[in-house]
Amino acid sequence: MTDRKPLYLMSPALAWLTGFMVIPCLLVLALAFFRRGIYGGIEYTFTLENIALVFDPLYARIFLKSAGIAGLAAVLAVILGYAAAYAIAAMPRRRQPMLLFFAVLPFWSNYLVRTYAWIVLLNREGLIAAVAHGLGYDGELPKLLYTESAVVVGLVYNYLPFVILACYAPLSRLNPEMSEASRDLGASGWTTFRRVVLPVTVPGIATGFVFVFVLSIGNFVTPALLGGGQFQMIGNLVYAQFLTANDWPFGAALSMVLIAIMMGLLTLQTFATERASGARRQET
Amino acid sequence: MHGGPDKRLMLLILSVVFAFLYVPISVLFALSFNEGGLPTAWTGFSVKWYGELARNGEIMRAAFNTLVVATVSTLLATVLGTLLAVGVEIRRRKGRFLETIIFAPMIIPDIVLAIALLSFFSLLNVTLGLHTIIVSHVVFNLAFVCSVVRARLKTFDWSIVEASQDLGASTVVTLWRVVLPGMLPAVIAGALLAFTLSVDEFIIAFFTAGAGRESITLPMQIFAMIRFGVTPEINALAVIVMTVSVAALALSQRLNRGGLPGQ
Amino acid sequence: MTQPLLSISNIDKHFGTLKAVDNVSLDIRENEFFALLGASGSGKTTLLRMLAGFEVPTGGAIYLDGKDVSAIPPNRRPVNLMFQSYALFPHMTVAQNIAYGLEMERLPRREIAARVEEMLGVIQLSQLAGRKPDQLSGGQRQRVALARALVKRPRLLLLDEPLGALDKKLRGEMQLELKRIQHEFGITFVVVTHDQEEALVMADRIAILRDGRLLQCGSPREIYETPQSRFAADFIGVMNFLPARVGGGVLLAQTGVPIAADLPEGLAEGAEAVAAVRPERLHLGQSGADNSLTGTIGAMAYHGLDLQLHLTTPLSPQPVMVRLTADAAEGRPLSIGDEVTVGWSARDTRVFPA
Repeated sequence: MTDRKPLYLMSPALAWLTGFMVIPCLLVLALAFFRRGIYGGIEYTFTLENIALVFDPLYARIFLKSAGIAGLAAVLAVILGYAAAYAIAAMPRRRQPMLLFFAVLPFWSNYLVRTYAWIVLLNREGLIAAVAHGLGYDGELPKLLYTESAVVVGLVYNYLPFVILACYAPLSRLNPEMSEASRDLGASGWTTFRRVVLPVTVPGIATGFVFVFVLSIGNFVTPALLGGGQFQMIGNLVYAQFLTANDWPFGAALSMVLIAIMMGLLTLQTFATERASGARRQET
Repeated sequence: MHGGPDKRLMLLILSVVFAFLYVPISVLFALSFNEGGLPTAWTGFSVKWYGELARNGEIMRAAFNTLVVATVSTLLATVLGTLLAVGVEIRRRKGRFLETIIFAPMIIPDIVLAIALLSFFSLLNVTLGLHTIIVSHVVFNLAFVCSVVRARLKTFDWSIVEASQDLGASTVVTLWRVVLPGMLPAVIAGALLAFTLSVDEFIIAFFTAGAGRESITLPMQIFAMIRFGVTPEINALAVIVMTVSVAALALSQRLNRGGLPGQ
Repeated sequence: MTQPLLSISNIDKHFGTLKAVDNVSLDIRENEFFALLGASGSGKTTLLRMLAGFEVPTGGAIYLDGKDVSAIPPNRRPVNLMFQSYALFPHMTVAQNIAYGLEMERLPRREIAARVEEMLGVIQLSQLAGRKPDQLSGGQRQRVALARALVKRPRLLLLDEPLGALDKKLRGEMQLELKRIQHEFGITFVVVTHDQEEALVMADRIAILRDGRLLQCGSPREIYETPQSRFAADFIGVMNFLPARVGGGVLLAQTGVPIAADLPEGLAEGAEAVAAVRPERLHLGQSGADNSLTGTIGAMAYHGLDLQLHLTTPLSPQPVMVRLTADAAEGRPLSIGDEVTVGWSARDTRVFPA
């Protein structure tokens, strides 16, 4: 086929993406540099105030807080997810697809429902409390729901399947003879893991980490439901600027910073992948 | 075998992780059939909470809205995404820019796309409603359909297209009679995936639905209900929503056999 | 008599009901270039993995320098393996790959550097020390894998199909290169291969394995000239098999003519047998030969050094292969369809039960 036909097939979708993704995103970018109108509208004069406001100590603190929670969730998800992926890859080959399928299945059920399940478990009349009392514990239980820990658990729970998937990919392609070679050359099991398996599977870890971090830092559903509005994360802040405070330019500026963080991390991830890219040709 | 991972440790890890993944969901399942509706005591098996759902007008309307949004956006996205996939795969040059645009809807944080679309629609003075949700859902849905279909086309033997043309078929006839049958399972799998995503999508819908209750979708309804606390109806609703998405995904997976999207 | 370097004693390895290695005993001497030869599924790789320590024998024992090492894990054995896939660490450079095993011995940094340097010289890759494995050609990767195992100066170096991934021309060069390096380092090599030609060229001694059992062990010459079984005769080189039967104490071909040959013990009167003779042991004409056959030339192939004929003869259902030296062939012009008679001597004939 000639090279013109593809364009003709692609154009409806590309037009859609341009009209309803590229232009709106550029609009947000532009919005971040406009002034907020007195009654919540937008005044079309250039300003850097919104960007500056993001770095105001008040908001910078929220940024750091969000980054801390997102970072913790990402680290926990990567540890659990990597361990699970490693265990799946260690099972007999023919069982692996099924295990992987069931590890990822929850990921495709509704996010709200999965978060809600933790409310059922953690609330004051929830299952954990019921079990504790059933076991004869009469004292006051520590508050479980509406805490930072609940938010972290919720984030880990929701994104864990993706991390398993991301880590499984390089682990399953790992040539088992490589670990054997390391053992043969005198390395212990732990040294083999640290010096051979881990460096080669870094791309999966990086992908998983970036994914969890980016989606967590911009999340507003989980803090709203499991954090009970006790504290704000970037996502909640953006949400508030658009739907309640009506300061769109500032909301746009916040989300630009979010995008910048994401791009930065994706670049890092690409770098990590390229560093370990030698893995590709040896995979058997 | 020396040096292999310890099988018992591996099984332990798997048990812990699978328990973590499935206990919360299973609890929800069990509770939705609890006559008393409370997590504290099992008072007997009952489907009465499912009956309550059917009688709840708000929920039924939200479910209907969701069905409309998911169906229309899936149909649109399937056509656009499939054409895009075919176009990209038969194109010889692979542009980095093109790849980024196609990939972006899948990785862009929902909230960013949500506020972008909200700003865009309000700037153009578009009245918000189900139609704006549909338009917005098509953006990410078409990207997912495209990626599923492309995965299938990667293993497609393009020489049969040339064979068809050599035998005198036009491009349209070739697409219809040679290319489409080969990729139909992937197209259906992509459509099912898009449908699931659309049924479950909350954030973008929340921002592009506008004020008022007419265009509320099921996830928006669930979000509103959850904020008021745990009720037996939500348990039942949660189970239904979860079952629908998982069933659609399992079917999609079966059709496609190429692994989960995103893999 | 000196103690063998490696002694494999009645070793078994079972995977469930499968007997991958079945009661194999072998001695391997210091400085030997030893080949384990067999088809896939013969148990040769399992045997090698037991020597490396990746599999524990189900029964029997492995003695290295007189000590039982059967249960010692691979990282504590003075034995190194060059993997079939090379298994180079993709995130490390050539030099780092080679240094890895020495770092595990916790040698001083300076000694590691010196030994890596020396090894790079041996494999002639000093210029590429900083490259990653994916920037190397197949032959270069093969040499790095060899260097990485060799640099540890193991008592025993195991090589799993070392030349399997190389193209034919490179393989020929590397066969000689491996022999040179083995000689230079004075390390005992055990090579696993399915390629009989490779085993014949490289090894001092060959063990043929089949279905987990040791069929025969000996020098290439012994194995080629006096195979102990029909399988070994067929597996190594090219062999003509003539169906026969024992009658009146002698071997009779399927046409009834006697074939002069030493009968092995245990072949009873009337038993089915085959007479085996190598193509190069057949000569034109029958002067001075104990046996002869006459056939029609069905096909001819010129190979430079020799001329191969396919003879259709009543003695065998398959065409008989004859390999004439260029000299012998020049004496008489041959063409397809010609009838020729070839002869061979009794001592070049091996007899096996059918």
